Amino acid sequence: MPHQCTNCERVFADGSKEMLSGCPDCGGNKFQFKPDSATETPTLGDDSGGGDDAETTPDPSADATSSPTRESTPRTPSADAAAAGDPDPTPTPEPSTAADATPGDDVIEAESDPSVLTEDTAQADARSDVVSADELDDAASPPPSADDAARAVPPTSDESPGIDDLRAELNDQFESIKILEPGQYELNLMELYDRQECIISLQEDGHYVIEVADTWRDDA
Amino acid sequence: MGLLTGLRDSISRVTERLFSASDPKRIGIYGPPNAGKTTLANRIARDWTGDAVGPESHVPHETRRARRKENVEIERNGSTVTIDIVDTPGVTTKVDYKEFLEHDIDEEDAVRRSREATEGVAEAMHWLREDVDGVIYVLDSTEDPFTQVNTMLIGIIESQDLPVLILANKTDLEGSNIKQIENAFPQHQTIPLSALEGDNMDEVYDMIAEYFG
Repeated sequence: MPHQCTNCERVFADGSKEMLSGCPDCGGNKFQFKPDSATETPTLGDDSGGGDDAETTPDPSADATSSPTRESTPRTPSADAAAAGDPDPTPTPEPSTAADATPGDDVIEAESDPSVLTEDTAQADARSDVVSADELDDAASPPPSADDAARAVPPTSDESPGIDDLRAELNDQFESIKILEPGQYELNLMELYDRQECIISLQEDGHYVIEVADTWRDDA
Repeated sequence: MGLLTGLRDSISRVTERLFSASDPKRIGIYGPPNAGKTTLANRIARDWTGDAVGPESHVPHETRRARRKENVEIERNGSTVTIDIVDTPGVTTKVDYKEFLEHDIDEEDAVRRSREATEGVAEAMHWLREDVDGVIYVLDSTEDPFTQVNTMLIGIIESQDLPVLILANKTDLEGSNIKQIENAFPQHQTIPLSALEGDNMDEVYDMIAEYFG
């Protein structure tokens, strides 16, 4: 149960599309992310009374821990922060003592664990999403300078060639129209939007005819 | 003398039109395939000019070339707003001729339509780059608005600082969910309507006058 509405605490399964348009129960649009391992902590079990977490904290002190645990949960600002293993002010990351640890340790364990989790479908979706041109620019600029600092590359005449190369490489990877077979096409909308010339005709053999700027007319 | 006066009057009329502050704004109607863009364009054109813009169809990608209707004069509150409407092909990241086969179109025709639809999307994206002054973004309110295409197009429109109205179309259908669209793009005004039935068109025209006038 990785996603939970921060408003009404309704839980959604991993990959659920229900929450994409807001919580169907309360309309809330803020959700916190709870990786599978985190659900083993008493945090979620306390409010739902579900049995799947009984194994983790069988001793009665779990009841006593419920209120601090629950308080600490909403404090995690977002799913991102939890999933990224946000550096925590609490310093003891040892899982071995968790069995007889204090209530606070339970919480620590839950929050430090996600950093070693394997990627789930939601994260995979987010990672495979298309970024905007601006983001690409931002992402493209740091590497050359980082390279310069890290190793003595041949005298840097200027930094732009590296960025240009990267852009060219990206352009090669993301062509504007991919012809899978005649009648089946994949379109890269950002690339189509960015390109100067307007594609006016696709040919059967995979070529396309473009109208170059010099021949543009103001009016059709 | 009369001739000269007439000539002068006609010249002044022409220059007035040329340099009028209310030059028609070119408004692109964008959105995914089958959202009702052509139905809306036809509704606007018919309401104010008596003509249609293009054929409407349940078959996706019926509009495969951008179609323009110029000098559509919309009267609101005693003043007139003149716009050029550009009905664009539905924007998508994949076009597959097999989609057309489901609509009783033979394979050869389906492949041709598919190719033309792809060209149309390329053209629509190009228009968005430099040929429109504002956007009416039409969404089918029975469909999930959280798609890559919608997010990307709205992002592009925002990056261009173009005024945009989001229309939640097909409110006459049972599964219509306006709230979902409002939630998807809370930064923009969402107007519910049924372009097919002509429901809530008054508000649409009010907003067109306000945004693009």
